[in-house]
Amino acid sequence: MTNSVRRERKVPELKELYLERIGELLSGKDLEDYLKILKVVPVKSFRCNTLKISPDDLKKKLEDKGWEIEQPWEKYPEVMIVKTILGPGELGRSLEHLLGYYYIQELASILPIIALKPRPGESFLDLCAAPGSKTTQAACFMNGEGNIFANELSMGRIRILASNLERCGVNNAILTKREGGALCDRLAKNEVYFDKILVDAPCSGEGTLRSSFKTYSMWNINTVKALAALQKNLFKKAFGCLKVGGEMVYSTCTHAPEENEAIVSWALSEFGDAIEIEKVDLPIKAREGVKEWQGEKFDSRVKDVARVYPHDNNTEGFFVSKFRRCK
Amino acid sequence: MGFKERIHDFKILSRNEKEELVDKLRAQFGIKKLGGLIMGRGTERLFLYQGDLSPKEIMELEHARVNIERCGVYFAKLERDEIRLSIEGVHVLKDQIKKNIFELDEEQARRWMEGSELNIQSGMRGFVVMKHKDYFLGCGKASAEKIGNFIPKNRRLKIKG
Repeated sequence: MTNSVRRERKVPELKELYLERIGELLSGKDLEDYLKILKVVPVKSFRCNTLKISPDDLKKKLEDKGWEIEQPWEKYPEVMIVKTILGPGELGRSLEHLLGYYYIQELASILPIIALKPRPGESFLDLCAAPGSKTTQAACFMNGEGNIFANELSMGRIRILASNLERCGVNNAILTKREGGALCDRLAKNEVYFDKILVDAPCSGEGTLRSSFKTYSMWNINTVKALAALQKNLFKKAFGCLKVGGEMVYSTCTHAPEENEAIVSWALSEFGDAIEIEKVDLPIKAREGVKEWQGEKFDSRVKDVARVYPHDNNTEGFFVSKFRRCK
Repeated sequence: MGFKERIHDFKILSRNEKEELVDKLRAQFGIKKLGGLIMGRGTERLFLYQGDLSPKEIMELEHARVNIERCGVYFAKLERDEIRLSIEGVHVLKDQIKKNIFELDEEQARRWMEGSELNIQSGMRGFVVMKHKDYFLGCGKASAEKIGNFIPKNRRLKIKG
């Protein structure tokens, strides 16, 4: 997808168990390519904040600085890559960034909102919103019209979220600080329902190995297993806040099926005929969901989810699934 | 950013209070209208919320203890009887700002965004909107010899070492 020069670097060693598990998901050349891309420096991508400036105008401003800019996805000109090799932190230090003309965002992380497509005038809940990349992206999709609830539990992360919403000029957002499930309970009790909901759930972050070396050391199978309960709870409570006919995206930045297809399969069973899974339409190569994992068979409809592997598109890894509330 | 307070520390400005605010904005910058709700925090900081919830709906949510931390963006600050627009306040209203605009050259704009006050005899007094080409760079306070800088630290250009 990107023609940027591929620069390699030394990376930490993967834990043995992780290697075993990823080897169950990928094999042969596929696995080789996956392991190879982990060593490649990620591309520098960002998203034009269309609340403040058009993609054409931003591109021109950045090109005037001598930056070479690529727009990799024709349908989404706001998504850009800088091909010029910049100094450390340079992308975040430009005047255009300080003024909120763009948001530095990894390409794969742009996908959940593309899948959800919030529209002007709708009500949108971002349940795990910090640092605000997807909230600000949703605000652009909504053209600043309608209402956004951006929730985050951690005070430290709320500060970052508030700062990013402010920099990007998101005037139609209400920031809340609650555990996600508890917030949804209170909203539903007060009959506050949403057209669109994003549950970008806390996860083990296996998809972020390229940009975050600490994931190599932090990855732990116990975390993978433990997160499932939290993810199910967030899914369940969020789904309870969805309007009939409303749509919800459940996403993670991990490959672990326990945190992805297992949650989706559970949700399809839990909500029965009140829920419908929708095929995710993304501008990059994505794979179907896995139908079985370590002896557990999933609902066959999990094929409609999108698994994004780093080596398929030179991005991070991501998982995106989309649902509609039928009744 | 002060996050000790929550929405119950905010006051949603009444229609009359908002009109008074718009009168001041008109006198200072030529601004004629301001859509959305204005919320005051403390006695000075003003937030602009342009979502579609009404004041009543917002207060109901607060009573439901959803823990609202903030509505909209920090937009302006009342200083004595004058209004100092934040960078975002300037951005939202830039198409309406007709007076008290100070045009910066490239070097001045760089120093301004680094957080420096500008030792300039601008011939202006009070709060002025800083502009360079089509970039709106917040508000400064002009006095006889200088323009005072209010760019928050997290929005400043880093000075090259």
